Amino acid sequence: MNTSDVRQKLTKTDRMAGRSDAAIATKKLRKLFDDLVAVAGLDLRITKGTLYGMIGPNGSGKTTTIKMLVGLLRPTGGSAFILGEKVPIKTNLPKIGYMPQEMAIYTDLTIHENLELFSRAYSMPWEEFERREMELLKMVDLEARRDSLAGQLSGGMKHRVSLACALIHDPQIVFLDEPTVGVDPELRVGFWNYFNKLKATGKTIIMTTHYMDEASRCDVVGMMRLGELIAEGAPNQLMESASAGNLEDAFLKFARRVSA
Amino acid sequence: MNLRRTLAISQKALRALKHDRRTLGFLVLMPLFMITIFGYTFGGNIKGVSVYIVDLDQGSPNGSVSQAIIDDLTSRDVLDAKAIYGPEDVGVNPIGIALDKVKKADIWAAIIFDTNFSRDVMEALDNLRLGIPAMPVSIAVHLDASNPNIAQAVLTEVQKSLQTVLVRDYHLLPPAVVQEHRIYGEGARFIDFFAPGVMGLAAMMVTFMISIISFVHERSTHTLDRLLTTPVTEGEIVGGYALAFGLVAFMQSTVILVGAILLFQIQIEGSALLALSIIFLLGVGSQGLGFLLSSNARTEFQAVQFLPLILFPSILLAGVFWPLEAVPALLRPVSYFIPLTYAVDGCRSVMIRGWGIEQVWPQMAVLAVFAGIMLLLSAYSLKKRR
Repeated sequence: MNTSDVRQKLTKTDRMAGRSDAAIATKKLRKLFDDLVAVAGLDLRITKGTLYGMIGPNGSGKTTTIKMLVGLLRPTGGSAFILGEKVPIKTNLPKIGYMPQEMAIYTDLTIHENLELFSRAYSMPWEEFERREMELLKMVDLEARRDSLAGQLSGGMKHRVSLACALIHDPQIVFLDEPTVGVDPELRVGFWNYFNKLKATGKTIIMTTHYMDEASRCDVVGMMRLGELIAEGAPNQLMESASAGNLEDAFLKFARRVSA
Repeated sequence: MNLRRTLAISQKALRALKHDRRTLGFLVLMPLFMITIFGYTFGGNIKGVSVYIVDLDQGSPNGSVSQAIIDDLTSRDVLDAKAIYGPEDVGVNPIGIALDKVKKADIWAAIIFDTNFSRDVMEALDNLRLGIPAMPVSIAVHLDASNPNIAQAVLTEVQKSLQTVLVRDYHLLPPAVVQEHRIYGEGARFIDFFAPGVMGLAAMMVTFMISIISFVHERSTHTLDRLLTTPVTEGEIVGGYALAFGLVAFMQSTVILVGAILLFQIQIEGSALLALSIIFLLGVGSQGLGFLLSSNARTEFQAVQFLPLILFPSILLAGVFWPLEAVPALLRPVSYFIPLTYAVDGCRSVMIRGWGIEQVWPQMAVLAVFAGIMLLLSAYSLKKRR
């Protein structure tokens, strides 16, 4: 798949924006910070139940795109839809889970208190919260640290708490901005098993990552560069069309094609 | 606004304080420290002012008037007579010694009775009785008036003793007196006047500080952003924090009140609960102000820089330690823009005058409006960011 293929695919995305099987759809989504173009007319379409990986160097617009989708940034132009509803809209919020790059957990609260706060933010019934808390703490392997202050945990543990907070309310769509940074390989396998389990129940996951081996486990990978999607497709498909042995080489080849 | 979500935010804010032992200790001990230090500093009257008394008075057949005055002066502890020279010491030049001591700032004042003091007083008294105009007799007080409070205390003491002796020993009653009827503040001391001031000041300072620091922290760690991606609204965040920190202000003022009652036996004429409610409103407003300013600070260090900016005008212009009447007319309008002014005035009226809500509602209304505006602006500033 080369860039013209991508473009062809994107016109289709326009027509399908807001259609029922799209978890996320954007149309010419743009974000400028003063003169800096962070996202340059992005057309995305992510079907429900997809594990979507965004890769690209720092400053390629991955985080900005996610922040617009979760309603933290107002797009400069274009539009975005989550489950057919235009963002930002409050009714979307219970359906999405968001784990920011900065972890963003309350370091002056315990793990349990962090999870409880987020569950109450989503007005979850107490029994359901307790059940979810147990399940998630097991997944992130922090059952024993439930009552530790989050500030006293290691960086990797904080990341795991942050992930649990994003998933506490069992959201339809999960945005994970670099969820596996500082997480050891063994636990990362656990994460991926959980992600696949979520996917099996029809949840959509959008994640950014710097690990190419992780990206290759996604259903669809979107390669971003300078605020644009330079290629999109299944990992195997991308490697094949770039005739590259791995995603990293594929990315470099696509990047060269766009510049040329 | 969803009440349960608002309460979840309040609970979060209070829990975070609970885990931070040191801050918690600060919140409880700081007001105690403040009331103790202010109470002992301002609450005491002037005592033990060192003076020399030079009594050259030769007396009169009816006894020595100067001796009676000196006895009265030394019976109280405001003045501390380091030395008393009698007529027999005239050879050592006591006036010279005493003045020299004042000049060297070893003592604050030299009180001098002239050789003919008693005789002149008797003569003046006789003349008065006969209806003949009399020359007033004087006691000379040489003062180091570099400290006006002390100078005033010395003069008042001498005046008082002179009066006492003339009335008691010579039955010289003044023809007219001022009679005092205290409508409010019977038995009120200075500490009673400023305890409400310290309550307001501590509440404002602390809620402002913990609020601005909490929010700078929320912003810099992106937890605020994250909360905003949940169904929690801007209003719920602002309201939740306001409730939590208002309660902190309420709790702190309770500590101050109890401390002031135990340590200084301050009087509370009205309802303590009403006074604390006034402080609660002030606390809510101050936390709102802290929130608003927090968006202008990138780090906790920058946040703390706002503290003196808010604190000094409040300490100086809000009538905490001296009445608004002592504030220059030019700055008076500023006083009326400081919320603490209304909180202190309201608390004072409740605690000293014993007023109820039907009399202090205007002050409470001003504080409520201030709090309301702060909260609305805070919620708006959060909305605008998105």
